[in-house]
Amino acid sequence: MNIKKSILIRVRVAFLLVALFAVAVVVRMGNIQFVEGDKWKKLAEEIGFQYRTIKATRGNIYSDNGSLLATSLPFYKVAFDPMIADSEVFKKGIDSLSLLLSKTFPSTSARQFKQKITDARLSGKRYITLSREQIDYQQKKKMMDWPIFREGRHEGGVIFEKVDKRFRPFNDLAFRTVGFLNEDNYGAGLEYSFNDLLGGRDGEALYQKMAGGSWKPVFDQQEVKPEEGLDIETTLDVNLQDVAETALLRALEEHSAQHGAVVVMEVSTGAIKAISNLTRLENGSYGETYNYFVGGVREPGSTFKLVSMMALFEDTNLSLEDSIDTGTGEIKVYKESIRDHKPGGYGKITIQEAFEKSSNIAVAKLVMNQYGTQPKKFYEYIESLGLNRPIGFQMKGEGEPKVKTPDKWSGITLPWMAFGYEVETTPLQMLTLYNAVANEGRMMKPYIVSRAKRADKVIRDFKPEILKRQICSDATLEKLKIMLEGVVERGTADNINGTHYKIAGKTGTAQKLVNGKHVKKYYTSFVGYFPADNPRYSCMVLIDDPKGYRQYGSDVAAPVFKEIADKIYAKDIDMHAPLSPEYLVETGVFPTVKAGYYPDLNFLCNKLGISNHSKEDEVEWVRASVTNNAINWKYPSNAAGLVPDVQGMMLRDALYLLENKGLRVTYQGKGRVINQSLPPGSRIAKGGLIRIILG
Amino acid sequence: MNAVKAWTDRNLKGDPVIWFIVFAFSIISILVVYSATGTLAYRRSSTPEAFLLKHSALIILGLVAVWVSHKIDYRYYSKLSRFALMASVPLLLYAFFFGDSINEASRWIRIPIINQSFQPSDLAKLALIANVAAMLSKRQQNIDDFKAALIPVLLWCGVICGLIALSNFSTAVLLFATCMLLMFIGRVPVKYLLMLVLIGALAGSLALALGTRGKTVISRIQNFISPTEVPYQAQQSYIAIATGGVIGKGAGHSAQRNRLPFAESDYIYAIVVEEYGLVGGVTVLFLYLALLYRGMIAVANSERAFGGLLSAGVTFALVIQAMVNIGVSVGLLPVTGQPLPMISMGGTSLLFTGLSIGIVLSVSKGEVEEVNMQVKSGNRSKISKAA
Repeated sequence: MNIKKSILIRVRVAFLLVALFAVAVVVRMGNIQFVEGDKWKKLAEEIGFQYRTIKATRGNIYSDNGSLLATSLPFYKVAFDPMIADSEVFKKGIDSLSLLLSKTFPSTSARQFKQKITDARLSGKRYITLSREQIDYQQKKKMMDWPIFREGRHEGGVIFEKVDKRFRPFNDLAFRTVGFLNEDNYGAGLEYSFNDLLGGRDGEALYQKMAGGSWKPVFDQQEVKPEEGLDIETTLDVNLQDVAETALLRALEEHSAQHGAVVVMEVSTGAIKAISNLTRLENGSYGETYNYFVGGVREPGSTFKLVSMMALFEDTNLSLEDSIDTGTGEIKVYKESIRDHKPGGYGKITIQEAFEKSSNIAVAKLVMNQYGTQPKKFYEYIESLGLNRPIGFQMKGEGEPKVKTPDKWSGITLPWMAFGYEVETTPLQMLTLYNAVANEGRMMKPYIVSRAKRADKVIRDFKPEILKRQICSDATLEKLKIMLEGVVERGTADNINGTHYKIAGKTGTAQKLVNGKHVKKYYTSFVGYFPADNPRYSCMVLIDDPKGYRQYGSDVAAPVFKEIADKIYAKDIDMHAPLSPEYLVETGVFPTVKAGYYPDLNFLCNKLGISNHSKEDEVEWVRASVTNNAINWKYPSNAAGLVPDVQGMMLRDALYLLENKGLRVTYQGKGRVINQSLPPGSRIAKGGLIRIILG
Repeated sequence: MNAVKAWTDRNLKGDPVIWFIVFAFSIISILVVYSATGTLAYRRSSTPEAFLLKHSALIILGLVAVWVSHKIDYRYYSKLSRFALMASVPLLLYAFFFGDSINEASRWIRIPIINQSFQPSDLAKLALIANVAAMLSKRQQNIDDFKAALIPVLLWCGVICGLIALSNFSTAVLLFATCMLLMFIGRVPVKYLLMLVLIGALAGSLALALGTRGKTVISRIQNFISPTEVPYQAQQSYIAIATGGVIGKGAGHSAQRNRLPFAESDYIYAIVVEEYGLVGGVTVLFLYLALLYRGMIAVANSERAFGGLLSAGVTFALVIQAMVNIGVSVGLLPVTGQPLPMISMGGTSLLFTGLSIGIVLSVSKGEVEEVNMQVKSGNRSKISKAA
C-alpha cells in the first residue's frame, strides 16, 4: 500500500468520527428540543430574571472648610438564610443568637426569634427577614461576631442588605439650601440642583429571583458597575451660617414675622457664605420650607433707590449737595399719591439727605425730571444691570424678575419704579447689585458650589464669575458709597450705628402686594456691606410681615444685619489687626524655658541642675517665672471653654493644647509662640480660628 | 456577474467551495455576534453598532489573512512554521507570567500602541500543527522508527501543549488530541499513539498541578461526571436551544443572550439555535463538515505528503475545536471556554483562523509553477508559449 493511499484512508476514518460526532450533536439538540423541551421552557418561565439597579453611592456635600453638610451612611437590614449553617453550628448557636437578637430588636423576644428561625429551617425557607429595623455599621460589625452569624454569608447564612441613608451632621443648619431629594428624583436645594453630579450613575446587574423574594446576582462578568457620585464643596461657612440663622430666627420670633431670609456673601468673589430662609409654620415655630432668597420675586421697595440714583448720577451732573424740594410729604401723580415717611414732609433737603432718609418723593421727582421724556433710557439702565433677567444661579428654582418694558408702562410706572414699586426682582439680585457697589463696581455672580470632587481629585471647578466688569463710573460709585454709609451714620438705619467698624447699606420697607393691591403689611429689608472702608462681606436681611408697632426695615431687618456683622467681625481675624499681647513673658536668665508641659520641663531642669519649684505636683501646663536663680512654676488657668495662654510654648505644645480645646490653628514662623490672635481667657467659639506667630 | 466571476477567478485561487464556506461563515458571524452583543451590558458601555463595526473590521482582517496566506506557496509554511514555533515559546511564557488575566486565566498579551489583546496560544497552535505535518511528512519513509521519527515530534508537542496547559488547560488538551489525530493520519503506528496518551496524561496533570487553572478544571469535570445540578451556563444554553424550536425566534430575537455569560463567544452556538432554530444549527454543522470534506479533497489532490498532512491537520484542528464548542453548548462535553472558530467574536482567534483557511486554500490550489503569476493579462500568451 502506498503512502498516499494509507494517509487518505486514515483521513477518511477521522472524518467519519467527526461526522459521527456531528450526528450526535443533532440528536442531542433534538433531544433537548423535543424530549426535554417542556422542562426547559418551563424553567425559562419559572426563573425570574431581572436587571436590577445597583444604587450608586451619593456624593457628600461639604462646607468651605471641609465640614460635612450631608453624607450617605450605610445602614443594614438583617436577613437570614436558615438552611446554610450546618446542624452542629446551628444547634450550638441558636439559643445565644436568639437572645442577642432580642436584645437588639426588643420588639421580638428571644423565644420568638428561636421559633421563627427554627421553623424556617425546618420548612426549608432560604430567606427570612429578622427585623424591619435597620442597624448601623457599628452594630453590623458587632453582629458579625455573634454565633452562627460569625460563620459569614456562605457558611452561616447571615445576609446584611445595605441601605444608604442621607445624614446631615449639622441637622437643620442650612436645611433648605442643602436640600433634599425624594424617591422620584424631585426635591430642592443643592441635593436637587446638583443631583447630576451628586447622584453618580446607577449600575445594573442581572439578578435571579430566589424563593422567599430575595434576589441573587447571577454572574459578575457583564454587570454594569455603578459610578459613584461626586462630592461637592460649597462656599458655605458653617460658623457664619450658624450666626446668620440664629440671628434671623431670633428676629422672626421677636416680631412674629411670616418669613425671613438672610444671605451673607463674600464681596470679592460672590461666594455665598451663609444662606437661611425661615418660614412660620402652622405651630408657630420656624422652619426652612422655601428658598425666598433665590426663588421669591417681589417689589424691592426702597433698596431699589440705589438703581435710580446710580442712573441719575451717570446721566446727569447731580451732586450730593444739590437740593431738592420734597414739599409737605405728599405729591400727586395722576390719581395716585406718593408719600414720604415723615408726616409733614422733609421740605427742602440735599440729594444725600433724600437718600439717607429714603424720601420717595425726592427720588420719584428726580427720575421723572430726567427720564419722563425718555423712559426707555431708564429701562435700559435696569437692563444693563441685569435686573430684568435671572442671573443664572447654580441652584434650581431661581425666580423670574418682572420688569415691564416701557411700551407697557402707565403714567405712574416710572415714578413708582424709582422707589422700588412696579418692578419685581429676587432678593438675590438686589444683593448682587449691592455687592457690586462694595466690590468697586465689579459685579460678581453669586455662587454656592465651588468644586465637584471625586475623592481628592477636582473634577469640576466653579470659579468666581464676573457678570459686569464695571456697573458705573468711579465718580458715581464714590457718591453711592457715601450715601450708603450715610444711611447708617445718620439716616434711616442710624439705630445700628456705633460699631467700631463701618456698615454701609440701605433699608427697605415695601408695602405688600396682595391680589394686585398694596395692603398695610410690610416687607422689610436691609441690604449692605461691611466694613465699609474695605468691604469683605455683603449681606441682605429680609423679614416679611413683621407684627407689632415697629414694622420698618430699620427697626426689623437692620438689627439682624448688625448682629450678624458684629459676630462675623469678631470672629474674622483678617478684618482687624491682632490684639497686642496681653502680657509679655518674663525675660530672665533662662530665656529658653518659658512655658510648656510641666513633667517635661521639670525633668529637663532637674537634669540640668536648675533649681525649680512648684507649689503643686499635679499640674500639666506651666509658665516660668524667675526668682533669683530659680524657676517658680506658675500655672495659669486652663479652664474649659477659655482660650489658654500658649505664649512662650513650643509649637508642639501649643498645637496640642489649642486643638484639644476645639480651635483651628494656623501658625507662622519658628521657635516659640510670641503672639496669639485670641487673647488668653476669652471664650472659645467651637471651630474658631486662632493664629499663632512663632519667633 | 461575469465581471465578478472574472475577478474571483483572478484573485481567489484554490477551492471555490472553501471560499464560499468562508464567506458564509463571515455573514453568519456578523449577524449572530451583532445580536449577542445587544445585551444590556454592552448597550450601556457603548452602542452595539460600535461592536458591529469592530467585529466586521476583524472579520475583514480575517478575510485578508485568508487571502494573503492563500497566495503563499504552501511549501514555505514548513519553514515559516518553524520560526513561529520558536517564537511562541517565549510568548507563551511571557503570557503566563506577565499576561493580562481575563476570566481568571492569564493568557493574554496586550500589544502596546494598538492596544489589542493577543493570545499567544492561537499562534502556537497553528505553528505546532504545521510543524508536526512537516516533520511527519519528512519521515514518511521511516515512520516506524520511534527514535528518529517520533521523538522530535513528541518533544515539540509536549513542550507547546505543556506551556499552553499552564494557563489554558482545555486548549492544550484539544491541541494535543489534534496532534495525535494528525500523527495517526501521518501513519504513526497505533501502539506509539497509545503510549503518547499516557505521556500526555502525565504532562497534563503536571501542568494542572503547577498552573493556574487546576481547580477550575477539576470542578468542571466533577460537575460534568456527577451532575448534582446542571450548571448555570448549561441550563441557560439548553433553554436557548429548547426555546429556539425548529425554525428559531428570528434574527435578533434572542432572549438568552442576556442570561448566557459570553453569549458572543463560548455560547454563540446556543444563540444561533435560539435565533435560527434547529435548521440554523444543522446548517452551521453542515458547513463545518463541508469544510472538513473539502480539506480532505485537498489532501487527496496534493502531490506531496506535506501538503496533505498540512491541510488535514489545519482543517481538523479547526473543525474539532468547532465540534468541542458546539458539544459544550448542547451538553455533550463539560464546560470549557473555546470560541467557535470563524463565528465567535474575538480578535486573534479570527485572525489565526483566517490564516488556517488560507493555508488549506494554498494546498488546494496545488504547487505554483516557478513562473511569476502576477503578470498582466496581456502577457498571458507569452507565458503559455513558454510553458
